[in-house]
Amino acid sequence: MSTILIVDDDPRFRTQASDVLGSDGFVVVGEAVDGASGLEAARSLQPDFVLLDIGLPDIEGFEVAQALSINGPPPFVVLTSSRDARAYGRRLANGHFLGFIPKERISGAAIRALVDRG
Amino acid sequence: MLDWAISNRIRAVLLMTAGALGLGMLVGNAQRGPLALGTVLEVLVGWSFVACGVFIWSRRPANRLGRLMTIVGFLWLLGRTMTLVPNPFVYTAGLWLTDLWAPAFALFLLSYPTGRLSSRADLAIVAVFLFVTVPLEFLWFLFLVLDSGLNALGIAPNESAAHVIDTIQRVVISIGAALLVIALGRRWVRSSSPVRGRMVPVLAGAIAILLQSTSWIFFSSGASHELLDDLIFLSQIAIPIAVLSVMLRSRIARAAVADLVVELGQTPTLARLRDALADALSDPSLQVAYWAPNQDRFVDAAGEPVELPDDGTGQAVTMLERNGVREAAIIHDAILLEEPGLVASVASAMWLAVENDRLTTEVETQLQEVRASRARIVEAGDLERKRVERDLHDGAQQRLVSLSLELRLARNALGEAGDPAVRRSLDRAADEAMAALSELRDLALGIHPLILTESGLGEAVESLADRASVDVTVDVGPERYSPAVEGAAYFVISEALANVTKYANATRALVRVRCLADHMTIGVTDDGIGGADPRAGSGLRGLADRLAVLDGTITIDSPIGGGTTVSATIPTLPPMPPPVPARYAATHLDDTMDE
Repeated sequence: MSTILIVDDDPRFRTQASDVLGSDGFVVVGEAVDGASGLEAARSLQPDFVLLDIGLPDIEGFEVAQALSINGPPPFVVLTSSRDARAYGRRLANGHFLGFIPKERISGAAIRALVDRG
Repeated sequence: MLDWAISNRIRAVLLMTAGALGLGMLVGNAQRGPLALGTVLEVLVGWSFVACGVFIWSRRPANRLGRLMTIVGFLWLLGRTMTLVPNPFVYTAGLWLTDLWAPAFALFLLSYPTGRLSSRADLAIVAVFLFVTVPLEFLWFLFLVLDSGLNALGIAPNESAAHVIDTIQRVVISIGAALLVIALGRRWVRSSSPVRGRMVPVLAGAIAILLQSTSWIFFSSGASHELLDDLIFLSQIAIPIAVLSVMLRSRIARAAVADLVVELGQTPTLARLRDALADALSDPSLQVAYWAPNQDRFVDAAGEPVELPDDGTGQAVTMLERNGVREAAIIHDAILLEEPGLVASVASAMWLAVENDRLTTEVETQLQEVRASRARIVEAGDLERKRVERDLHDGAQQRLVSLSLELRLARNALGEAGDPAVRRSLDRAADEAMAALSELRDLALGIHPLILTESGLGEAVESLADRASVDVTVDVGPERYSPAVEGAAYFVISEALANVTKYANATRALVRVRCLADHMTIGVTDDGIGGADPRAGSGLRGLADRLAVLDGTITIDSPIGGGTTVSATIPTLPPMPPPVPARYAATHLDDTMDE
């Protein structure tokens, strides 16, 4: 069973994502509301995955992902947003993350598909 | 005002009369003995005054000077001719007329070039000459003893009394002549150098009359020095000719002034008006005073009060009025009045030029204001687009995401259990929610492409290309520009690619953005059917307006069957270097998927 940390400032989404991923076989080990607390939680919880919103209130998701890649074996980062990939263009092409899934398509299957591709 | 225009007939009569009088003088003198050079010169003096006077009179009927010169010439000729007639009355009248020539000559000198006396001092000088030639002359005639017995007024012959009066006359007229020289000399000193040139003939005339009158004091009655007289006659012949030539020259100058006005019309400013007027009128002493209605006085360009000169200072004032409202006063050399209306017409023309310049500046200022406000409107529009996009993202988009997830959760919870109709209904609802979200994202992207502000034109165009229905080659560098330029360029490309998709029936398109030193060029070319009409539809019109805000332009080349090329140019500041590449440099993950 893979562990996952959900980092998003929208409590409704955290609950829904938690429910969706929980039912898809992930263990949601924690939730964080912004980039700073997300980094803190990732350090202490050492999850296998981090579901990371791009538009966080403090630090942009891309930068959180980069920070997570430093120090020790990084978790797989899955970026998400209520915007779709077109809003981010090439920035999604490569970086310290596994991939991008728009929020409404979040599922265990979608995350595993990213792992399989990576 | 009297019309002093002179007809050809009167002119002919005057000239012929002067000719006849002169010939009479010559014939009369010839009968009395060998003709002296002085006599011939005397006739020429008269003819010179009449001929030049009549000429100026016919050319400048409004200027008294021509008439005055004609009178001076006739007094000279008539008086001298009449003294040849052996009749006491004619002789006496002739002698008197000959001497009355002096005040007329003084009047002519002092009223040059306008034909009008400009001060009381001038009038006083003429009065001195009149005093000598009217009351003193009369007194002199009463006592004058003539051997010929031709003195019609000699009722109390007294040789010594006549001599005393004669001497007084010579002294007083010399004083008058000296005053004349001083008055004209002062005027000359005060004048600017070009005007001084025009003053030369009258100054010479004044000096001549001074020499003549003083010579009368030193040489005993009736026996003046012949050579001096001849020289004075020569100068008196030259004076009218010189005056005439000055008048003719100023006619030419007037044409040059007209050219100058045209020339000045292109670059006048209020500050340059004075210099321009001074140049055009060859009067360095010229001043322009502007009427300040709130101060009820004239001020100069710096706002300092200006006193208008009094008469007799050699300066004159020409008022400029428009619609009956006084606007300015030109203070200039009085000699410029010799050209009637010259100062006013030149100044008015220049004033118009200045006014034109002021209006142009005003319009330009307004244009700049309009441009600035247009830029602000576009900027405000862009900000509003950003806000709407953010609102969509934070509001409706989030809710639809939530709804989609909730429907999926419900569907998952139901599993394979429950009513199949409910399951199908949930599936359809989830699909609908996804479709709504997709449409909403398209809308948001059209309103404001976040990628443009986040990642720049290059990536934003790549994103557009990805969505296009044809194969789009993107040749856009990573440089960043101002938001306004990026926005305008993006919307040009977006609109052009949308048109390629909608109308061009193309298979390929090329988007190329080049950044040059001070501008950006945009080209969107397709291999479609061409024949696009740039006037059709509001999209391109809107783009042209948007580009115009940035002083950019857009052109469309769309020959039928030859594809379409949309070209735009936007002036830019030098582009900013692209952000440090690969901020999120790939390490272990190279390939990702969008969804």
